[in-house]
Amino acid sequence: MPGIDECLLEAMRLPGARGAALVDWTSGLALGTVGEAPGGDHETTAAEAAELARMAAEHGAFTTGDTTDGRPPVEDVIISNRDSYHLLRFVDTSFDSSVFLHLWIGREDGNLALARIRLGEMAARLVLG
Amino acid sequence: MTRVGTPPPLPVRDRTAGQDRTAGALSPMLRRLAEEQATGVLVREHGTLYLAQGRVVHAESPLAPGLDVLLTAHGTLAAAAWQRAAAQATGTPDAARLLLEAGLLPAGALELCHLDALYDAGYFALAPSSTPGRFRYDSGSRIGPLSSVPVIALERETLRRRLLLHRLWPDPAADSVPLIRADPVAAAPVTPRRRAVLDRVDGVRTAPEIARNLGRQAFHTLVDVRRLAAAGLLRPVRTAPAPPPPTPPLTVTDPDIALLKRLRDALEAL
Repeated sequence: MPGIDECLLEAMRLPGARGAALVDWTSGLALGTVGEAPGGDHETTAAEAAELARMAAEHGAFTTGDTTDGRPPVEDVIISNRDSYHLLRFVDTSFDSSVFLHLWIGREDGNLALARIRLGEMAARLVLG
Repeated sequence: MTRVGTPPPLPVRDRTAGQDRTAGALSPMLRRLAEEQATGVLVREHGTLYLAQGRVVHAESPLAPGLDVLLTAHGTLAAAAWQRAAAQATGTPDAARLLLEAGLLPAGALELCHLDALYDAGYFALAPSSTPGRFRYDSGSRIGPLSSVPVIALERETLRRRLLLHRLWPDPAADSVPLIRADPVAAAPVTPRRRAVLDRVDGVRTAPEIARNLGRQAFHTLVDVRRLAAAGLLRPVRTAPAPPPPTPPLTVTDPDIALLKRLRDALEAL
């Protein structure tokens, strides 16, 4: 059964992966980090990514509407720039939490569609075993 | 068209400020214990930190729901299973280890919940206190299998959390006293998570009590409460100040609070 580090290391095996983190979007705390971070600073990246995740999760425009079951209102947030992709995957936990997996992949060798599917599977395995 | 004000950004440490002043800013005693890689239990006014070889392995606070509450409140783990493990264990980390070994909890879920609870209780344990902390050397705390956290990481995160709350709404009264609903000037949309908090505001419960009731981290609830207070949807119940007692003949001057605090810090640093 994987722990947080094993989950992040698995994410790093995806093609083009540069860095990964597990972040709490209420506080902005990185609960685990691996690899590089944009600007070399995981702490700042976590706080900024948390801000983005929170905005997506809390604004009705981006959610499914039915948010009474305690599940994350958003599945993932995708950012692309000229050089790389950022993929934020909300983790659906059976206990109350507000965490997401953040994967940073290079655009040249990364595969966004594959990464999105795999990250979703990793997020599920992290908490379900 | 309505506009939503941009919320304050999550704080990040100012790396341009040169030397990191986090170390020892919250408790000089904790800093010293980290440096000597102490193993034992640091009891402070609002919570307890368990150290092993200078790292924080577990934290407890009466203000923060424990690992047991977080795991059982939403059915991740049956309450009976926790009680069985707790009855055989020497403490919360040990009970968690037993549950992990018995395969009753996925490692990732337990690790995540454990870190959530540790930073949550640690935040309160490191809150400003009016009495000095006490440390007891005790070889009972051990590293692993659950993750441990360097003291500096907990200190840094606690300071960052304080700053985050302050930026959301600068009045700390809402953190600890009973809350009551208020009529906002303009009705603002409330997210489902914050709606659940607001629904439990009844003029009696405090924010930590609401967190326990919801099986949520107390700090997360403080964030929601401060945001709701900023939106004008709730406010702390102000207890009427007690009528001033008849003035006794003045025999002592006011104690110098700053001096007492310096004295306490000096005693902790011994």
